[in-house]
Amino acid sequence: MEPLSADESRINGGITRRQMLTGSLAVIGGMFALPALSGCSSSAQSQNISLKYWHLLSGGDGITMANIVESVNDTQGFDAHQTVLAWGTPYYTKLAMASAGGRGPDVAIMHASRIFGYAPGGLLDPWDLDQLAEFDVTEADFPEAIWTKGFVDGKLYSIALDAHPFILMYNTDIAAEAGVLGPDGQLQEISSPEAFIEVALKMQAVTGKHGLSYGYLGDGAQMWRLFYTFYKQMGADMDLTGSRVVIDEAAAVSSLEYMTQLLDGTVAAKTGDYGTALAEFLNGESGLFFTGVWELPTMKNSGINFDARTIPTLFGTPAVYGDSHAFVLPHQSSPDPDKRREVYRFVSELLKGSLVWAGAGHIPGYLPIVESPEYAELIPQAHYADAATLINYDPEAWFSGSGSDFQNYFAENIQNVLMGQADAASGVQGFVRRLNALMAKPNPVTD
Amino acid sequence: MMSAQVLTPPLGVHPDAPATPARRRRRKVTGGRIAALVVLIVLAVTWLVPFAWAVVTSLKSEADAGATPVTWLPAGGFQLDAFTKVLSEGNIPRWTLNSLLTATAITVITVVISALAGYAFSRLSFKGRRWLFVVVIASIVIPPQVLIVPLFYQMLTLNMVDTYWGIILPQTIAPAMVFILKKFFDQIPEELEDAARMDGASRMRVFWSIVLPLSRPILAAVSIFVFIGAWNNFLWPFIVTNDSSLMTLPVGLQTVKSAYGVQYAQNMASALLAAAPLIIVFLFFQRQIIKGVATTGFGGK
Amino acid sequence: MSTEVAQGEVSRTPAAQAAEDRPGRAARISRDNRAGWAFAAPFLFFFIMFLVWPIVHGFYLSFTGQSLTGAGGSWIGLANYSEALSDPVMWKSLGNTALFTVLSTVPLVLVALALALLVNIGLPGQWLWRLSFFMPFLLASTVVALFWTWMYNPQLGLINSMLEPFGVEPIAWLQDEKWAMISVVVTTLWWTVGFNFLLYLAALQNIPEQQYEAAAIDGAGKWRQLFSITIPQLGPTTALIVILQVIASLKVFDQIYMMTNGGPNGSTRSIVQYIFEAGFTGYRFGYSAAISYIFFAIIVIVSLVQFRVTARRSS
Repeated sequence: MEPLSADESRINGGITRRQMLTGSLAVIGGMFALPALSGCSSSAQSQNISLKYWHLLSGGDGITMANIVESVNDTQGFDAHQTVLAWGTPYYTKLAMASAGGRGPDVAIMHASRIFGYAPGGLLDPWDLDQLAEFDVTEADFPEAIWTKGFVDGKLYSIALDAHPFILMYNTDIAAEAGVLGPDGQLQEISSPEAFIEVALKMQAVTGKHGLSYGYLGDGAQMWRLFYTFYKQMGADMDLTGSRVVIDEAAAVSSLEYMTQLLDGTVAAKTGDYGTALAEFLNGESGLFFTGVWELPTMKNSGINFDARTIPTLFGTPAVYGDSHAFVLPHQSSPDPDKRREVYRFVSELLKGSLVWAGAGHIPGYLPIVESPEYAELIPQAHYADAATLINYDPEAWFSGSGSDFQNYFAENIQNVLMGQADAASGVQGFVRRLNALMAKPNPVTD
Repeated sequence: MMSAQVLTPPLGVHPDAPATPARRRRRKVTGGRIAALVVLIVLAVTWLVPFAWAVVTSLKSEADAGATPVTWLPAGGFQLDAFTKVLSEGNIPRWTLNSLLTATAITVITVVISALAGYAFSRLSFKGRRWLFVVVIASIVIPPQVLIVPLFYQMLTLNMVDTYWGIILPQTIAPAMVFILKKFFDQIPEELEDAARMDGASRMRVFWSIVLPLSRPILAAVSIFVFIGAWNNFLWPFIVTNDSSLMTLPVGLQTVKSAYGVQYAQNMASALLAAAPLIIVFLFFQRQIIKGVATTGFGGK
Repeated sequence: MSTEVAQGEVSRTPAAQAAEDRPGRAARISRDNRAGWAFAAPFLFFFIMFLVWPIVHGFYLSFTGQSLTGAGGSWIGLANYSEALSDPVMWKSLGNTALFTVLSTVPLVLVALALALLVNIGLPGQWLWRLSFFMPFLLASTVVALFWTWMYNPQLGLINSMLEPFGVEPIAWLQDEKWAMISVVVTTLWWTVGFNFLLYLAALQNIPEQQYEAAAIDGAGKWRQLFSITIPQLGPTTALIVILQVIASLKVFDQIYMMTNGGPNGSTRSIVQYIFEAGFTGYRFGYSAAISYIFFAIIVIVSLVQFRVTARRSS
């Protein structure tokens, strides 16, 4: 090493190394000093019980949630600190690990569809119904399907902040031109698969490109959402609680075949990912868009004239796919009762303040909000509020739910069907085989 | 496992060895040398570009950072907003402190127990020394990655998940460092110790007052290597910490996201702040660190 | 290894030998015995607690259905191993890991050598060269991943914007199966080549100058000297760097996990990531432990083969 030092002090007679060092140090030192000066005021916190609150909401939802937390901190005297983890697998992995360690956060948000992979294994602590009632949170305050979804083995593990169903958005300008609006200015009633295609084609005639936007490429969640909506509308059920999949294969095949019928290049693009579909709808190149309620802020910001509604019942049984963001108590080996009490109060206040949350598109789970006159004035939210009662969560299994591998298994077998490269029956059989293999293994949550 | 010959070149523990004369010689400027210089400059610039791009991005506003076409000079001028935002959230200073605390503790514990063990293996003919040494050296081959599951299970049992000790303790076993230290102690003339022992000094005293002072360079090298490793380690701290207030810099940066979505300028500002401490230390102690890494490098992996 | 200990014994000086021949010899040996164990004790305690225990317990776990939730701790024999050996995801992850190892080791050795040779010419600005090439090695994997994810950004990244003037359409470096592995390898090269570079530089400076002088007298030119003296003299160093690099590359996890999370379509998922996912995302500790041991066996075999090969070459 040594011989190299000869030239160390100078590069080409220019700036010396020391000078450069001192300079860079001054800059970096200055940066660390900045917040030290500006951060003084916030350190004088009051005596509030500090709460650790985990969630996976980022972007539009994240900003809204951050505002809500900030507002209850200010007005209701909480000292809640939110930690945002990356959506999907990283979040759920960390939540399980934290709960297994018994030092989990005080309260967290999970998708209601994921509870089944956590509660039976003791990774969540149950809510106390009496204590909840003290803070005005009771069964009567939620739509029945949403409240009961929180129960596992007779105990309540999750309290829904919202329901976020898969919905149908439409461009009102295009719809008006195509003559598919009803007398109330909303999309006309559609009650059969043929009628839906007819409406889409009328809109296609206006846009000249497509009638409907639906992106699915490389996106198992998108494929699953629409498939499960149609499947449930056919009155079919799927059960993953036994040792083998119980599925109505005929209904599954019909649902997929109808989806491929839509993806004919005229009604909707044959192949396209979610981002492309979104852009297409925003650019007025289609009139209809299958998407989640969470896309509402994007639509509003874009300035297009649009409305939204529950996906029409095409196959007889009203049903839509959806999920809920729900509050859970990650397992703690020795929870502090005062802190737990503060958590109940915190959750209650967030539920009562969920009108703000509705602004981001979600349907609040807490009925006093949904039934309030303020909510009725939220358009288009009020136009799809009925979806909350029609919501269908993923079939229960330790491996299913939003952000789980379940939707990837679906994509592995179904993408080729939607692209027209495989037939629906073999796609469904492949999916069933994959699930059966998984269910033949011991359930790592409980066995 | 490691031949002695391997360690000898870097272990040239002669910090002030004279430079090879040829390299001090003024060389005449030839076409070949100019070409080499050009190539080196191109390579060095290439290597520095990701840093430079990170610095420039961190000094842009979020709007400029996310604007196309991509430019080095932002339309809105340079500013420190990203740094102020990131620092005012409080996570980075907190994680820096955690990193400093855990890396220091890991370094101290590792160096102390490894030096003691290295001395025992080098000098003290206790029963079982031979096979014990074989076991310790053989354990160098165990990849820490295969331990993540049983170690996490063990931390659950010991109730150490989400504690500083949970981060620190499993990172303190460095068989390679024991080996390096033993090799060094082997080279210290035993007469130096015998004289003191004649005067009735205990082993501990001899170790403390004679062996350690002679071993400063190697201890520094080992400490540097262990510290850098601990400061930057990701996998184990990532497994054992879930509580964001206990996370080290690499773990926190990877795990905790902004509620506001991806913020390019702030991302780069955070990354640079996380990189800054070691780089500053490196700028000041470049020679020692390079020597330390080269010395321990072969045994350390 | 055993020769190691033997050398230690042989190196005992006559003075020490003489001291032991004195009457108190037995007492001294027993004192050494006690002192020896006392000195080694702290290390051994940690060694047993945090290395021996987990490695043994992990082996036991691999024969159980143990789960993260605490369920399923019963003995299931070789079921985990037989499942792993017929698990396409495990084989794919092993294949990805092997591919990464080959793709990364070659440039990490060759580029390091080239950089060391260039710097060793003795051009001005030595500290700057060493700083440039070695500094990335001091960065945590997270920082590296942040830097490069940003460089690779399809719309806003520097790389695509630099390629644009040449008419190259934006490439989704980390999202496109064709490019993801290569991109991760390039990042790894940038990050860790400095370490091998330093080792080469140290070795280069240990080549006796006389050899070059002698060659110069014989009329050998610079290039001739490079291939007849420098490269052969670096042989042992190269062998060692290759061994260390192969082992290090087989253990890859951090940067891939952070940059692609094993995607797209599992095309960059390394075996260590699969161990992590099986154990922590899938809760299956027992299964994950079984894969860990399969991986461990591979590491041991690769190490043994490499040491055998290098030992043969050097003898």
